[in-house]
Amino acid sequence: MNEFFIAAGLALCLLVFLVLYRVIFGPGVFNRIAASSAIGTKTLIILLILGYVYNRVDMFIDISMVYALLNFIGCIAAAKYLEMER
Amino acid sequence: MIVSSDDIIIKTIARIFVPFIQLYALYVIMHGHYSPGGGFQGGVILGASMALLLITHGYDEVKRRLPEGVVMLLGSVGVLIYAGIGLTCLLLGGNYLDYSQLSVILHVDPAHARSLGILGVELGVGFTVMAVMYSIFFDISTGGILPEDQKQEEKLESEG
Repeated sequence: MNEFFIAAGLALCLLVFLVLYRVIFGPGVFNRIAASSAIGTKTLIILLILGYVYNRVDMFIDISMVYALLNFIGCIAAAKYLEMER
Repeated sequence: MIVSSDDIIIKTIARIFVPFIQLYALYVIMHGHYSPGGGFQGGVILGASMALLLITHGYDEVKRRLPEGVVMLLGSVGVLIYAGIGLTCLLLGGNYLDYSQLSVILHVDPAHARSLGILGVELGVGFTVMAVMYSIFFDISTGGILPEDQKQEEKLESEG
């Protein structure tokens, strides 16, 4: 089961690079915000997978919750900044 | 300066979310010695909840809920709690922040006194970090110029 989790985590790491392309070259800011938010979600899942691999899910779930929260707040802050620019 | 958002989805989600974020921050502070976290991390999450409120509900609403005077008071009280616990340990004959000396005051055995003492210190750190994070965000978002100061200056200029 551990090998499966490690493989899934590595696949998610590769997917992060695909989304990173959208963040860097993506046309328009909305693509960039959506892509950076997607990267945050993927990082959260990778953290939980790491928790399974190290057998300490109870610790990693706290960190991933804070990560999700800050991802949400950061996304809203970026959107607010763009609203003020307009 | 940040004005209130006119989007009902953002405002409603923020209003429902903020109490849960603050509850989670208290959990991070209180549960700091068994799981990742502690005073600093919990304080940052508390500050983040206030930042979310400031982003979504605007400057006026947040200032009504948590004025800057109260923020500075909270920050100072946090430092006072931290230094006070440390100095109490010093006065009771131990080293600075040697919590086991607190067992004389708290009437518990030294192991429990250590646990309670570190909890008090974490609470102080959490208060201070929350106040300072919020204050920094507040100052950056207003550019250091508060609207009431601006009004006063304009009044003075028109008079003189």
